[in-house]
Amino acid sequence: MMYDIRHVTTYRYTASVTLCQNIAHLSPRNSPRQTVLKRDLWVRPDPVILDVHTDFFGNTAHFFSVQEPHRELTVAATHRVELRGSEPPPLASTMAWEDAAEYLRRTKTPEALDAFQYAFDTNLTARRPQWLEYAAPSFTPGRPIGEACRDLMGRIYSEFVYDPRATTVSTPLLDMFAAKRGVCQDFAHLMLATLRSLGLAARYVSGYLETAPPPGKARLVGADASHAWLQVYFPEQGWFDFDPTNNAVASERLLLLAWGRDYDDVSPLKGVILGGGTHTVDVAVDVIAATGNGGDLDFEV
Amino acid sequence: MLGSLAGESVLRRYRAPLGGGFDEMIDGDGRMRDHWHGFGSSLDSLTPQEFAGRWEDAQKVLHANGVSYNLHSDPRGAYRPWKLDPIPFLVAQEDGDRLAKGLVQRARLLEAILRDLYGPRRLLLEGVLPAEVVFGNPAFLRACHGISPPTGRFLHMLAVDVGRGPDGQFWALGDRTQVPNGAGYALENRIILSRMLPEAFGECNVQRLALFFRTFRDMLRSLAPHHRDNPRIVLLSPGPKHETYFEHAYLARYLGYTLAEGADLTVRDNHVYLKFLDGLQPVDVILRRLRDESCDPLEFHSSSFAGIPGLVQAVRARNVAIANALGCGLAESPAFLPYLGAVSRHLFGEDLMLPTMPSYWCGEAKQREKVLASLDCMVVKAAFSRVRSKPIFGIHLSEESKRKLSDQIRANPSAYVGQQYLPLSQAPVLTDRGIEPRPILVRSFLCASEKDFFLMPGGLTRFAQSPESMLVSVQEGGGSKDTWVLSRNSVSTFSLLKPAHANVEITRGGADLPSRSADHLFWLGRYVERTEGLIRLLRGIVVRLIEKPSEGEAPETAVLFRAARLLAEGVTANNLPDPADPEAEVRSLAFDRDRVGSLAFNLASIGRAASTVRDRVSMDMWRVIASLETPMGASDPTEEITLGDVLDVLNRGVITLAAFAGLAGESMTRGHGWRFLDIGRGVERAMHLIVLIRACLRHTTQYEPAVLEAMLEIADSQMTYRRRYLNTLDAAAVLDLLLADESNPRSLISQFVRLRLDVDHLPNGQAGTLLSPERRLALAFLSKVQLADIAQLAKADSRGKRWQLDALLEWLEAELPKLSEAISQLYLSHLQVSRHLAGN
Repeated sequence: MMYDIRHVTTYRYTASVTLCQNIAHLSPRNSPRQTVLKRDLWVRPDPVILDVHTDFFGNTAHFFSVQEPHRELTVAATHRVELRGSEPPPLASTMAWEDAAEYLRRTKTPEALDAFQYAFDTNLTARRPQWLEYAAPSFTPGRPIGEACRDLMGRIYSEFVYDPRATTVSTPLLDMFAAKRGVCQDFAHLMLATLRSLGLAARYVSGYLETAPPPGKARLVGADASHAWLQVYFPEQGWFDFDPTNNAVASERLLLLAWGRDYDDVSPLKGVILGGGTHTVDVAVDVIAATGNGGDLDFEV
Repeated sequence: MLGSLAGESVLRRYRAPLGGGFDEMIDGDGRMRDHWHGFGSSLDSLTPQEFAGRWEDAQKVLHANGVSYNLHSDPRGAYRPWKLDPIPFLVAQEDGDRLAKGLVQRARLLEAILRDLYGPRRLLLEGVLPAEVVFGNPAFLRACHGISPPTGRFLHMLAVDVGRGPDGQFWALGDRTQVPNGAGYALENRIILSRMLPEAFGECNVQRLALFFRTFRDMLRSLAPHHRDNPRIVLLSPGPKHETYFEHAYLARYLGYTLAEGADLTVRDNHVYLKFLDGLQPVDVILRRLRDESCDPLEFHSSSFAGIPGLVQAVRARNVAIANALGCGLAESPAFLPYLGAVSRHLFGEDLMLPTMPSYWCGEAKQREKVLASLDCMVVKAAFSRVRSKPIFGIHLSEESKRKLSDQIRANPSAYVGQQYLPLSQAPVLTDRGIEPRPILVRSFLCASEKDFFLMPGGLTRFAQSPESMLVSVQEGGGSKDTWVLSRNSVSTFSLLKPAHANVEITRGGADLPSRSADHLFWLGRYVERTEGLIRLLRGIVVRLIEKPSEGEAPETAVLFRAARLLAEGVTANNLPDPADPEAEVRSLAFDRDRVGSLAFNLASIGRAASTVRDRVSMDMWRVIASLETPMGASDPTEEITLGDVLDVLNRGVITLAAFAGLAGESMTRGHGWRFLDIGRGVERAMHLIVLIRACLRHTTQYEPAVLEAMLEIADSQMTYRRRYLNTLDAAAVLDLLLADESNPRSLISQFVRLRLDVDHLPNGQAGTLLSPERRLALAFLSKVQLADIAQLAKADSRGKRWQLDALLEWLEAELPKLSEAISQLYLSHLQVSRHLAGN
């Protein structure tokens, strides 16, 4: 299945910005389930510098710098991605979670070592005694890690309310945990923090979710949004998607952009500006199933 | 203190503690160690009085040079004078050689660790270092992974804290690999002590420090990716609030680098630039005193904007070199200490020649148990250096605190390191009670040379505040010593104070002024002049209070009080009542630090402004500023001092400020820096005159002659007036002299002539045919006063009000601040602050 994705971010300022430097994680990466066929990043006003590099986690990162005074900045990413179906993860036939943690500590293969780095807490998933308590009902002694993760994800899905007004990117995880409301990033961070407190390796994934319009209705342009979920490492088996926002494992509609330890490693766009007064930001995301060759979006800004 | 030394040579009075640890000067049999003999006999040739006299002079130099250390514990954030001991720490040649070998090996090791961890990470794959101390370490900056630094070196200067145990064995206690503070203090200590004890310094064959700094400077030059003939190197400092800011300014001046803060620098086109008044100048090498994570708020997403957004990308693009390379803080993590020996054997097949004090990382079960089982002889530290925390000495803890600490360690074991506690060696230190032993610790510095590392033959020796103290810390009240590494052969002497490289381009441009320095010089000028104005007014008041102590006899005093308060509190204060207790009011206006606008308040502002432009102010000027604060800033406002004493202090203040003006006039090149200083002074002196004249003459009074007399005195124009008009005091004549006479350098019009000239000389001053706002304003002030009809201005209406004079002065009072604003707008506006874009 092929998808066309466009992700347009527009900043509008009340005063002129004289210098703006940014890092974008807006280029999808390849994975066993996904092949990137086309990618493009478009910035207005024209950036003086637009550099690409591969970051520590293997994602494509763009650095760009706009050096002319401007009151509006538009960053548009357009990609075409081919998704393949995948086997459902072998949840029951996974290692006991305690063994998985031990495996990570002991094994010095490049793959295990790479996974191990995702077992440590970060600023956004800081270590708290509450996470261990929260993990306990799902992570009973000897339980296969896959099953325990499935259970934990189900609990987050049913106990927390999806509410875009409840949190911002700077809301501490503990506050979100107390209020039991948040968005996909919050749920992903909560599950990451919980797994890491047990010494398990799990990474934050930024990407998109294809949303089908209600039956009989036309798709609304810009109706989609960035999405976030996580991947958990099962020793000797690999990484598997868990989407606590939708209580889904290995969903076929998840389109992968980048992964890291938490949101800060792979936020789609971050920047520092000089001047600018106050600003507003608009984000429009479209994920559209491409039909044959005719699905290329005519794209105007 | 000094009296206690009389009659006996200083060192001979020292008694090493019995049964204590290792004493640096006295051996176990109570005899002076061999390598101290030369120093001892050289000191014997000084009488205690001579020694005391020299020490007093040395301390004066230390104070005059403004050597200071910023204390976090001081609520006022005050600078504390640097504490130096007159007895150096002597290192025997054999010890020096052994230390050099061990420390160079350690530097190579830390360099190799960084190269591996920011590259292939074999040390983790091969299990030599536990992956936790890297992956769980906030100092491991993933953004820096894979960036290979220019010339392949990560560490360009590093420091190692070295102590000596009871058996005389040296140990390494910890490392500083990102901002190795202290080398500048070591240098300043050396300069002071070698001047205080030139005979001993010469006879002892002390190894010199200059070669170390030359090696360092050559190495930094070689890093420049562009402009290799004459690269621009800046020292990036977190600013005057930082504890070692003195050293940043000191090193910048000594090495010939521009002292910069993050706001002075910007990244454009993937290059780093310094913001100068007339544009951006490229920067090739940054010697940073900012911690890793503060260097780039964009890449490291830090909330602090002390750094430069886009810096990491400029490094990636290989357009700028940073010393030390970004990410180096990783190697100083105490969690690495237990593994250094094993890494050395693994990488080099060598044991550590200088052993690390036994250390245990609690993230590993066995080591944790060791720490928990012997907490009494442990110093517990944070395992990852990003969080600076005080070490905890287990032996000082109550049983309950020990339990608490153990629980904390068990709850988050990987965050802690235990280091075995060993009593440090002691050395003689001059204290209030004479010469006493104090535990010491040496910070040794190494810099990268072409192929290896080079140890500074010296270092910063620090001593603890008390003999029992275990924590050797300048922050905690300890002090420092010069470190003399002795040589049996004669030592090479050369100074870095002459140029090492011949191809210097001859230049006369004064354009190399960072915009932020211009701003600070402008304010320095304003504060200095404001202080002088206030001193002169207060002096006028004090003289009158002394001469006519009973009320009513000097009616002009009330007018002067009003002018003083208007000046101190801002020109908007109206209808000020006469002070109930004039003497108390004078003391308050002079000495109350907490009163906004008081003399003491202004002096503190001068100190602050001057400290931010230390690299732009000559040593002599700095001494003048320092001497200004001594008599006035140090006075206790509650202390009852007589008016006579106050007058004395004010008189000295006037002389000191004249010295400042003299240096500014005679010794500063007329570059942009001088212009900004002069504009600040001109604006403030004009404001002073406007306030004085307005307060004194807007209404006529029956005691006007007395008022006129006082005005002339305060405006330092008595002599001229007498010569012209003898003893006739006339308002129009006084106004002419103070307002409109261009030949009087203290007249208002002279300030406007000066401002116009200064503004014309600023960069871009000649461009375009239209007058820029600041030039238009300067011209407007000048012509307004030139065109004024003095006879009309002096006329009062039937109720005694001088309407025209008041209107003119009121207009000037309102317009003058616009000149400052226009200048700020034009030259200083790019000193805007950066901020983060909201995420999405």
